[in-house]
Amino acid sequence: MSKGDVLKPKAERWYQSKRFKRFRRNPLAIAGVMILIFFATLAILAPALTADRMGRACLRDLHLGRTEAVTVLRNPLSGAFWRASFAPPKSCYHIPRKGYSPRPKAPSKKYPLGLASGGYDIYYGIVWGARTAFYIGILVVGIVLIIAITVGGLAGLFGGWLDNVLMRLVDIVYSIPSLVLAMVFASIFGRGLAKTMVAIALVAWPIYARMLRGNILLVKSQDYISAAHAVGTGNARLFFKHILPNSIGSVIILASLDIGAIVITASTLAFLGLGADVGYADWGQMISFARSWISNPGGEPLKYWFVWFWPSMAIALFVLGWNLLGDAVRDALDPRS
Amino acid sequence: MTTFIVRRLLQLPIVLLAISLLIFGMMQFLTPTQRAAAFVKSEQQAQHLDLVIRQYNLDKGFWVQYGTWLKEVVRGNLGYSKTSHEPVLTTIRKRIPISAELALANFFPIMAFGIWMGTMAAIHRDRIIDQIVRVFAVVFWSLPTFVLGIWLLAVLYGHYKLFGIDRAPTDILVAFARGDLKAYTGFITIDGLLNGRWDVVWAGVKHLVMPVLTMTLVASAQIMRVLRSNMLDVLNSDYVRTARAKGLPERVVNLKHARRNAIIPVVTLGGLMFAFLLNGIFFAEVIFNFAGLGQWSVTSAIQLDFPAVIGMALLTGLIVSIANLAVDILYGIVDPRISFQ
Repeated sequence: MSKGDVLKPKAERWYQSKRFKRFRRNPLAIAGVMILIFFATLAILAPALTADRMGRACLRDLHLGRTEAVTVLRNPLSGAFWRASFAPPKSCYHIPRKGYSPRPKAPSKKYPLGLASGGYDIYYGIVWGARTAFYIGILVVGIVLIIAITVGGLAGLFGGWLDNVLMRLVDIVYSIPSLVLAMVFASIFGRGLAKTMVAIALVAWPIYARMLRGNILLVKSQDYISAAHAVGTGNARLFFKHILPNSIGSVIILASLDIGAIVITASTLAFLGLGADVGYADWGQMISFARSWISNPGGEPLKYWFVWFWPSMAIALFVLGWNLLGDAVRDALDPRS
Repeated sequence: MTTFIVRRLLQLPIVLLAISLLIFGMMQFLTPTQRAAAFVKSEQQAQHLDLVIRQYNLDKGFWVQYGTWLKEVVRGNLGYSKTSHEPVLTTIRKRIPISAELALANFFPIMAFGIWMGTMAAIHRDRIIDQIVRVFAVVFWSLPTFVLGIWLLAVLYGHYKLFGIDRAPTDILVAFARGDLKAYTGFITIDGLLNGRWDVVWAGVKHLVMPVLTMTLVASAQIMRVLRSNMLDVLNSDYVRTARAKGLPERVVNLKHARRNAIIPVVTLGGLMFAFLLNGIFFAEVIFNFAGLGQWSVTSAIQLDFPAVIGMALLTGLIVSIANLAVDILYGIVDPRISFQ
């Protein structure tokens, strides 16, 4: 028998694995994925979906005329379509206004979801808000991971007093209700989307830092680490090539599944007026536009239902999508099930 | 056990010190003038900000500023809140009963509902009840508290004119403020009882319904999830099989053998729930217009009213630490295997 005849075990692709099958057969997981695909489509196609109602500043920054925009932005063969979909100018995130009336206007043909008080186009806000939500979620998770890897990594790697100090810091950040602390940070940093995201990240990192530290301690006690150490691997190489890659996987997965919780915090802050600039397409802020039209405006309850219904529905569905996906992934990865 | 409690209590001041350092450190991002605004007590002082800056050493180094502030705190002066126009401690004392009433009214329904749902789901594993409960849990867990609050507000209060916002109708609040009704505890329901006025008790309860409903639906989902997974573990264990084998009725096996053991981790969660509850209560107060600590600290955080913010951070830190301690003690009572060595 020549060397080539040795029976190689057939490599198992990720989509053939038991875990993926378990995931695929879970109807809730599929529902979650569908919801997220829906929002992702909304987010990516935002310029095309709103081409007929873009604000003046946005059109200027896209170098397009109003009538031209509708044809160009809806044509996937044009360069402008791709430019607008993947790198839209900042001004496009501002909801265009139709008049400045504080009274909301019921849905019409031109504005299918109605106008919020201040003349903000709700449909535009919902569609571009999906972009904002993904943007917030992904960036905050990124910042959280950077902080968590630094703190958890240092604590797990060096141990001793540094570990003690860092873990007490984790305890302290943990002992203040997170929304309150985020609120304090957000108000110190001032208004603005980037600042809010930093504020949220500053309260969300502790749990992942602790998790990473635990994983590192576990990996450090494994035989292959001692072996690598015995061969004379340097400390830095040992950490970055052996310890970190083996302890970071679950932390990254769990942190990214937490986008739902992050969007809840962000929208709550925005609702309180601590989010992006006024008029930015952000679901939480859109609910705060609706504030005075919720309980009983002028004896006609539920007349202005559309001002709070659509943005709150968008938040709820978006978070639901992430939570369904998160639960399913956790179930699939859980060795007990 | 006593040494354990004493040791934990001795750690409390350190935690509080660290919290104040953290927030005080954050304040250094502001200019001395902005920081001075936090210490202003009157219109007159606002015109002499430089005097305020000098008085509180706001242009000096961090430790000098912190020392000045700490000295005042040790003397029992947490500063002056410009949002409530009175000293921070006075406001806290005034508003604590309002938030405490809301918190207590929330805590038990959340725990009871969560435990009940978790048990139901685990006993009927993978059957229709389980599926319904699980979908229910993930849906409500995905709703931000303020979103559900707004929905209930718009539909139940706005459309159906049920329940009510604020803690009680205005005439009752006025009666308390004027002294026609005596405020013994600051809890509307209990004070109504002590005054012998059943209508006041009823009004208080009615006004608690919406915030309690909001928080229960959102928060019990978490309890349910933990209890369900523990209960499933326990139901597979040997002693439950033994209990079944010796012919005990299903109900006794489920409730006495399985649930009692599954409930231990829920006790931990009860402590965490308290922190979560504080979060939720803050926004329930804003939405349902309760003049409690939450509403005050939300406005003070937005208006950069730092004495109020630090005061609230210290208070919540204290409450959460005590809740955690209580959980650890409770642990020992629920599970005799745990010792405090």
